[in-house]
Amino acid sequence: MAGLEFKALHKTYGSVPVIKGVDLSVDHGEFVVFVGPSGCGKSTLLRMIAGLEDITSGELWIGDKLCNDVEPRDRGIAMVFQSYALYPHMTVYDNVGFGLKLARTDKAERDRKIRDAARILQMEALLDRKPSQLSGGQRQRVAIGRAIVRQPEVFLFDEPLSNLDAALRVDMRMELAKLHQDLGATMIYVTHDQVEAMTLADKIVVLNGGVVQQVGAPIDLYQRPANLFVAGFIGSPKMNFAEVTVQSIDGTMATVTSKDISSVSVAADTSRMSVGDTLTLGVRPHHLTLDASGTLVGGVSLVERLGNETNVSLKLPSGATWLVVLDGDHNLRGSQALQLAVDSSTVVLFDKTGQSLLAPR
Amino acid sequence: MKRRASIIGGVAAIAGSFVVFVIPFIFIILMAFKDKPQSALRDFSWPQGFHLWDNLVQVVTTRNWMMITAFINSALITVISVTLLVVLAAMVGFVLARRKTRMNGLIEFLILAGLMIPPAVVPTIWLMQGLKLFGTLHGMILIEVAYNLPFSIILYRAFVATIPRDLDEAAIIDGARPLDVFFRIILPMLWPVTVTNIVVQSVGIFNDFTNPLYYLPGNQNATVQLTLYNFQSQYNTSYNLLFTNILLITVPPLIVFLFFNRQIVAGMTAGAVKG
Ligand SMILES: Nc1ncnc2c1ncn2[C@@H]1O[C@H](COP(=O)(O)OP(=O)(O)OP(=O)(O)O)[C@@H](O)[C@H]1O
Ligand SMILES: [Mg+2]
Repeated sequence: MAGLEFKALHKTYGSVPVIKGVDLSVDHGEFVVFVGPSGCGKSTLLRMIAGLEDITSGELWIGDKLCNDVEPRDRGIAMVFQSYALYPHMTVYDNVGFGLKLARTDKAERDRKIRDAARILQMEALLDRKPSQLSGGQRQRVAIGRAIVRQPEVFLFDEPLSNLDAALRVDMRMELAKLHQDLGATMIYVTHDQVEAMTLADKIVVLNGGVVQQVGAPIDLYQRPANLFVAGFIGSPKMNFAEVTVQSIDGTMATVTSKDISSVSVAADTSRMSVGDTLTLGVRPHHLTLDASGTLVGGVSLVERLGNETNVSLKLPSGATWLVVLDGDHNLRGSQALQLAVDSSTVVLFDKTGQSLLAPR
Repeated sequence: MKRRASIIGGVAAIAGSFVVFVIPFIFIILMAFKDKPQSALRDFSWPQGFHLWDNLVQVVTTRNWMMITAFINSALITVISVTLLVVLAAMVGFVLARRKTRMNGLIEFLILAGLMIPPAVVPTIWLMQGLKLFGTLHGMILIEVAYNLPFSIILYRAFVATIPRDLDEAAIIDGARPLDVFFRIILPMLWPVTVTNIVVQSVGIFNDFTNPLYYLPGNQNATVQLTLYNFQSQYNTSYNLLFTNILLITVPPLIVFLFFNRQIVAGMTAGAVKG
């Protein structure tokens, strides 16, 4: 049974800090997804857990063992690489069994474990092939097989699906979810893909510049982002932002206006604002609806018709461009004026420092 | 037009290599068939009579079967030196390509220096005498390893750099210790370079004439190339025996080459296309 505990983890390359103090705890059996922009240190953090990178300072606990200076093979982890990293000169059978061979597992047991893993991943027919004779999806299976034969407490995945085509990615995603259910092991997963993060995770960790921005369940991150960065990063298409002024405060409701929006009343933490303050309003593209009495007016500049929904780029009077996702198909013409209503129960206000001003629950 | 030009070019190339490589070889074979008076003429004539067997017997038995000792010595030197070269150079290449330290620049400079600066014979002999290695087979092996190491390292290092680091790391996570990573993952993947290295170095070391001449004196220590001296002297050279000797000692490298030839070509194209 192994959870993980990070205490003020730091990593510097030379004098360049990459991970700047990460505190995090992961329960046993949780599926945790690290997301963040490219170069934010996701892979570095994962490799620190694996023991492939030294920890500059801080503590890494796996289970109840302090693992800062423990060899990778003794950490009870297995890792799946983006490039699969299969040994090209070995058959699939030997690839999967390599770790067991090194651990001097006896031959019969090794064989049984390899065949078990192959059965779980439905790749029994591939065991005699070399990696070069496999498709991308099959290689991915072998890489996962190599991880599961070792029966680790913690699985580490670094963008394992990003080399697969879209359809296969969906299949493998579901298989991973099932694998997680069946094995009940802790999984830590790095991805760029919003959908992977939202669907797989019990807990998402949003990183930026080596700092944890927010940790939480996927829906929490979507509905209650802690700051501008998380709000902009989670959800696709991206959240729209506008600068607004507080017009009046009434209990937990703040009414804000801007050049583009005549007025919206938002439930917010009103104790941290006062009338006249300049704040940032965040509105998700999905939360704008066509409404003849709406508070937002803009001109259509670009339309993408996807059939089930329509993506519209809207030019607002102030010059800002907002993205709107309308349900169903709409045949809109360029420069047509649209009037939209803002669903005020879903909008979020942010203060000057970018922290969200959500009403406490 | 273009077709014609390429045919002419091809024919010219074949003719050129025929003159350079095949004609001398035919000359050697013809000479090996002749008797002493005819071979003394050193011309391109057809042998009168079949003397190859007599020549062979005489070459092999000369000076108390020196040829046999020489073959054993040369084989020992070649096999052990090449084995050491492969293992050591691959290890150095692996570490140099993988571990970036401040020393790398200096180490690379030393390797290049080893490749470019000609070895000084007399100080080397003095050093070897001091270490009691002079005139011994293992001393000779160390010399061959030292002289050929830089080239092999450069060969290996370039190739190790093309092996993704993920493979090492995957092996480490699978529980491999450094030596496991090297012997079970890296070295097998270096096979194409290893073949090239084996061929180039074993032919070079087997055919080495000057180094055994300097560092390995004594009849007991003769290597095959030194047996050539048996039939050559200022006043009396038996050309038929000399050329039979040449023929005899050209055969092993030829066999090595023929044996590995297909693998060399396979090695050069393997990994060229990412699968
Ligand atoms: N060996 C290294 N030496 C110096 N800097 C490094 C090294 N490895 C990574 N970095 C830096 O650390 C930062 C984080 O890298 P990391 O690979 O963790 O990013 P990432 O979040 O995984 O990005 P991506 O999503 O593109 O994979 C980057 O700015 C990178 O330039
Ligand atoms: Mg990465």
